[in-house]
Amino acid sequence: MNAQQPVNIVMIEDDEGHARLIEKNIRRAGISNPIHHFVDGTSGLRFLFEAPDGPVHNGPALVLLDLNLPDMSGTDILTKIKAEGSPLRRAPVVVLTTTDDKVEIQRCYDLGCNVYITKPVNYENFAAAIRQLGLFLSVIQVPDLEEQ
Amino acid sequence: MRAAQQNLERIAERRFARTVMLLIVLGFGLVMLAGISALAVMLRGEEQTTLVDHTYQVERQATGIRLALEEMRSARRGFVLGLRKDSGASYPAAAARLFKSIDGVAGLTRDNPVQQRNAEQVRRMASSLDILFRQSMGPSLQRSDKAEVERQILAGKVEAVAMRMLAEERRLLAERSASREGSVQLFYAVLAFTGVLLALVALGSVWVIRRYTGELVVSRAELRNLNENLEEAVAERTVDLQRANDEIQRFAYIVSHDLRSPLVNVMGFTAELEAAIAPLQGLIEKVDERDPALVSEEMRLAVGEDLPEAVGFIRTSTQKMDRLINAILRLSREGRRTITPEQLDLGAIAHGVIDGLRHRIDELGVEATVSDQLPDMISDRLAIEQILSNLVENAVKYLKPGRPGEIRISGRREHGRVLLQIADNGRGIDPRDHERVFDLFRRSGEQDQPGEGIGLAHVRALAYRLGGTISVESELGNGATFTVNLPANFAGERTA
Repeated sequence: MNAQQPVNIVMIEDDEGHARLIEKNIRRAGISNPIHHFVDGTSGLRFLFEAPDGPVHNGPALVLLDLNLPDMSGTDILTKIKAEGSPLRRAPVVVLTTTDDKVEIQRCYDLGCNVYITKPVNYENFAAAIRQLGLFLSVIQVPDLEEQ
Repeated sequence: MRAAQQNLERIAERRFARTVMLLIVLGFGLVMLAGISALAVMLRGEEQTTLVDHTYQVERQATGIRLALEEMRSARRGFVLGLRKDSGASYPAAAARLFKSIDGVAGLTRDNPVQQRNAEQVRRMASSLDILFRQSMGPSLQRSDKAEVERQILAGKVEAVAMRMLAEERRLLAERSASREGSVQLFYAVLAFTGVLLALVALGSVWVIRRYTGELVVSRAELRNLNENLEEAVAERTVDLQRANDEIQRFAYIVSHDLRSPLVNVMGFTAELEAAIAPLQGLIEKVDERDPALVSEEMRLAVGEDLPEAVGFIRTSTQKMDRLINAILRLSREGRRTITPEQLDLGAIAHGVIDGLRHRIDELGVEATVSDQLPDMISDRLAIEQILSNLVENAVKYLKPGRPGEIRISGRREHGRVLLQIADNGRGIDPRDHERVFDLFRRSGEQDQPGEGIGLAHVRALAYRLGGTISVESELGNGATFTVNLPANFAGERTA
């Protein structure tokens, strides 16, 4: 990722276990960027838009988003991030969820999601998918948010 | 309550039918009675005419007697006085007319003993009179006052008898006329009586029919009302059912979906645990090398056997759970798929299904045939394909060891339904399990084949969705025949 400023990975995932497994496997892929984990949509959004060390004020970010959250739907967060005039609308969003419903996938891409990944139930596949995502993250370019 | 009402209605119907029948019979009877009396009166009238005619004839003959007598007298007088130049030839003609008239009267009144006696008397007296006349006209021409008086008395008697006969005949006529008058009156009375009765019957019939029609109208209105309510009730129930069904589908989806999340954790951390065992085992080995006293037997067992065993059980169980959840998910997803009926060539679909399993079929040396008489139908292609492929797959899967497999797909059309049959000669299904095999996660027989008990449940769900049913005929060890009964023309699901 960008060399000058470390890219923050913001993970909004209500399941602690999943979050831990995702983090472990991302680390195993050799990604050492800071990962900020939030278990609900409200705190995640607050960090994204308001926190002084959040992406709006503090460098580029990549969002890992689960769709099934206790307080709101992941698509709501996606809508806010990708809304017209949002400072984060260029930030890449990776939807990482258990849902493999076609309609939901379409909707996420319509809303501007960049990558949609269904969590494989089988752990080997899950670990492999996350590791590949980590490898993918290591090569993608994330836009600088200030250069709007 | 409904039964009681129906019973009442049935009784009312029977009573109505009986009353109407009775009234009709009564009406016919009355009309017949009127007809018979009319006929009787007519016959009597004809009889009367003949009798009147008869009386006139008798009268004419009786009058003939008097006339002939008069002629005889004048003929004799003329002859005696010499007024006539016919030398007495007109007398015998008049006498002949007299006897002819007497014979006529006797002939006409053969059935009347009184008249017969009168006729006999008159004949006798006429004969004596004739003799007296002839004597008075004889060559002797003897004329005596005595003979004259005798002739006059006799002639008077003949005339009197003739008059009596006439009177008798007139009396008879009057008698008959009176009796006829009586019968005509009786006829009128009967006619009037039947007329009144007929009017009553007609009124009664009209009343009964009107009342019954009124009841019918009322009950028809009730029926219509009920019918409308019924349709509403059915529509309501259908909506309820649809809602319940949707609810179940959604429930199945959410449950299976949400169950996956924790399962990912269980499986993931189990894998992590497994990965952690290896360094632990390494540590134990290393310590064991350097200082065996530090490692107790308990530690060695825990790391070497207990941990891997526990992890192994967790793994197989979670894997099984994963498969079950996936199955539910697949079923619920299948249930939410929209059915699109189209014209299908079952033969082509059956061949396609067998070709799809060709690899397994050839490997096991199974002989799979498709009847070339398969009917066409309108239904959902994917659903039919899945039904057939599941059933054929099962047939291939559960062969009887040592017997070359045979699978046959056949079908026929019957009363707007298509019966598809998939028959095999495999190991069969115990009749006790014929219902059970269609339940989710339930299997039958020896569990020597992989599977979750989903295929037939899926097939049955599909058959139901296509408006059909599925049944199995089988005996343990003697193959099985699955029959899918589907509507030949599936119009699509009801959208509530």
